[in-house]
Amino acid sequence: LCLPLVSMAVPGRTYCYKVVLLGEGCVGKTSLLLRYCENKYNEKHITTLQASFLTKRLNISGKRVNLAIWDTAGQERFHALGPIYYRDSNGAILVYDITDEDSFQKVKNWVKELRKMLGSEICLCIVGNKTDLEKNRTVSVEEAEVYAESVGAKHFHTSAKLNQGIEELFLDLCKKMLAVSQAEEAARGTDPSRVGNARRGIQIIDDEEPQPLSNAGCCPPSS
Amino acid sequence: KGPNLNSSCRRLCTGRACQGYCSKCWRERSPRQQPRPELTWHLTRRLITSSSRLKSGAVSGITFSKFEEKKSSEKGRRVSTVRKLFASKIGSKRGSLEHTERMMDNVEKFIMTRLYCSVFCPDDSEDEQQDLVLQRRIRSLHWVTLQLLQVPLTERSEVTEHLDSAITAIIEVDAKRAPQDKLACVSRCSRHIFSGLRVSSQEPAAADDFLSSLIYVVLKANPPRLQSNIQYIVRFCHPKRLMTGEAGYYFTNLCCAVAFIEKLDGPSLNLTHEEFAEYMHGRGKAAAPKPERPLPDGAGPGVRRMHRNLQLLAELSARQERILRNARELESELLEWTRSVREEVEETIRKFPLHIKRAG
Repeated sequence: LCLPLVSMAVPGRTYCYKVVLLGEGCVGKTSLLLRYCENKYNEKHITTLQASFLTKRLNISGKRVNLAIWDTAGQERFHALGPIYYRDSNGAILVYDITDEDSFQKVKNWVKELRKMLGSEICLCIVGNKTDLEKNRTVSVEEAEVYAESVGAKHFHTSAKLNQGIEELFLDLCKKMLAVSQAEEAARGTDPSRVGNARRGIQIIDDEEPQPLSNAGCCPPSS
Repeated sequence: KGPNLNSSCRRLCTGRACQGYCSKCWRERSPRQQPRPELTWHLTRRLITSSSRLKSGAVSGITFSKFEEKKSSEKGRRVSTVRKLFASKIGSKRGSLEHTERMMDNVEKFIMTRLYCSVFCPDDSEDEQQDLVLQRRIRSLHWVTLQLLQVPLTERSEVTEHLDSAITAIIEVDAKRAPQDKLACVSRCSRHIFSGLRVSSQEPAAADDFLSSLIYVVLKANPPRLQSNIQYIVRFCHPKRLMTGEAGYYFTNLCCAVAFIEKLDGPSLNLTHEEFAEYMHGRGKAAAPKPERPLPDGAGPGVRRMHRNLQLLAELSARQERILRNARELESELLEWTRSVREEVEETIRKFPLHIKRAG
């Protein structure tokens, strides 16, 4: 008796994805997010009240995608809360500051945690932010890229200040998530009874036995 | 509802005479045997009550298939009514997703409001216990300040107003019944926090600022039955709304705040373990001067009242402690007294044994 979600109806469906933004305190997560959703950087006239939960609608080759981007608290004291944030997310963007070696170490920790908790279902992107401060770089490009590849993540260089690489980052992540959902759908497609039931959660199944046609079967047959 | 004899006939009668069969099957099995009179009477009575409840006058003979028929037709009728109702509404407006969502919301709201009493904080769960634990925990953390939590909120009157509203909203969660109404309260609380942060810092708030403020609000509000409410929302709110929407984000942060409070220790407030322990025992630096600290100008009446209450509570707990201490002293004194009296009496008896000589 599960109430089906009409938005999940197959032909014109909208894909809804949850993406978490992970990264230490000062790596520029908020700027990244504001640049992507509002195209603003450090401006006085930002009208949005908050930059912790933002949504973005995309259309990728005819498929509607709704992105919900969750900023997470990155300070060390909140580290243990990570799993509560990234539960059920489809993608994760791990941000580090190219001038801060520690923030890159943090990213490595998060990757380990994410893979442990969510397996390979989640699409990961590792982002080296603040490329406008290239001259102060302490995390080498090669090291970062090799690491990203070793954990099955894609690496991006961005600068929220100069608006570089951000659009590409989100677009690529969306494409990856779409590919994952389509693979899931294809796998489910072999089982016709489950098409259109893409949501996670509890499903209540009416387990009442079929009504006996007559009084037969009421009591064990007399012998 | 009539008794469902088809599925439960084995349980209906456990008497030896009918060997566990229902009367109908029993009669088919052994037509010559007369059913026991009291059993017949019992069954007839049962039939009459159930048939009158079904408002059906036409019970011809003792057949149970009629009940089954009645039951399934009744069920079918209900199902088709609901289906018709929704199919026409949803079917005609297939395009308008919002309309459907709103309708689903209302259905969910209706069902959950009706079921609230039996599913909120059920007796067989440990929710209530956890509520008490959390409440006690929050009470013991009354000394945590904005500065300790590194909340970027100033103590201006405008900010305090927003914080007061946020506290009111989070307390209101317990008063609502439907999960989405509870969720709406959490969202309202969060928006007030964002407004407060906006006034304080002029920048859009990031997750760190928001979470620390929310923790502060939860500590100051100590919302009633918070754990039960969270569990209820997790169990009964639509998972889609809980996991993806803005309200879901705020709710997740609330869960984080609770998890943080439960695990809160010295290092997470930049305190040493000793300092933290001192604060917890009410001997910390902030605990003593707090009541005398002048309130910021323009603190709302709610804040003033809270300060007064805190003061009263502190006094009360001190007095209670004194009473307990005195009571314990009194108890030990009493015990000592009885013991000493007994000893004295025994001593006297030993010294001057009483020999009663028979007269004569």
